[in-house]
Amino acid sequence: MDNSIYLFAAFSITWTVIFIYIFRLFRNQKALNSQINKIKKTLQKNIELDDRHS
Amino acid sequence: MKRMQTLLIPFQLLTYVLMLLALYTIFIYAPVEKTMGLIQKIFYIHVPSAFLAYMAFFITFIASIFYLYRKDSKWDTVAHCAVETGVIFCTIVLITGPIWAKPIWNVWWTWDPRLTTTLILWFTYVAYLMLRRAVKENQRANLSAVFGIIGFINVPITFFSIRLWRTIHPVVITSRGLNMSGPMKFTLIITFIAFCFLFFSLLLSRIRFERLKTRIEEINEIMDDMNLRK
Repeated sequence: MDNSIYLFAAFSITWTVIFIYIFRLFRNQKALNSQINKIKKTLQKNIELDDRHS
Repeated sequence: MKRMQTLLIPFQLLTYVLMLLALYTIFIYAPVEKTMGLIQKIFYIHVPSAFLAYMAFFITFIASIFYLYRKDSKWDTVAHCAVETGVIFCTIVLITGPIWAKPIWNVWWTWDPRLTTTLILWFTYVAYLMLRRAVKENQRANLSAVFGIIGFINVPITFFSIRLWRTIHPVVITSRGLNMSGPMKFTLIITFIAFCFLFFSLLLSRIRFERLKTRIEEINEIMDDMNLRK
């Protein structure tokens, strides 16, 4: 009995679901990293301003 | 947080190696089943995914109890992340099941007790995720914890449905153990271990992300209070 098309469909859909989830996690992680960089820049700017005032 | 990050990288590498090993055992090592043929190989992803979905919802159940008892937000994070990962695995079960059923039962879907209870289980936890988005932040953790505890009632019902009611779904784990040949049993064990690693890899990454997000929100709030953000 050759049901290889069903087997192929099951495995490819499974991996697609897992990869979509990993990709979503990765994208959200990237967005978080850019937020950290933004915070870093703001803090550095404020430190520089403080230094100038003092 | 840093210790978790250092542990996560080798854990993820091991998951990758185990996944490759699992694919080798499924397609090269495991024999082709005589009656069903190649399609039976779906079994090696269908069964571990179902078990891991149950485990995820069990983690949610325990974490929800801990949250209500200790009121510590870290348990709410664990419960939420476990539901998300569990829903992914439950989705895999609901996709691979009908694909396997079509050539064997000649239908994509039948309102069999196991299939119906699994679908209800999936809807229950999708509702959990929707509830979290719908309610206000101050009520979110409490309501989710109650939902996480009550929703777990579905898990034993789904698991025992093939024993409680008349069903066409096969029973794999009997009182005599796994009902299959040696190489098939070995393949299932390897796939099961690989999927467990994948599950914990995804769950830990998700928890780590959620904790990091909470910390950044806290920092942003402090910066707002100090008028540092422009």
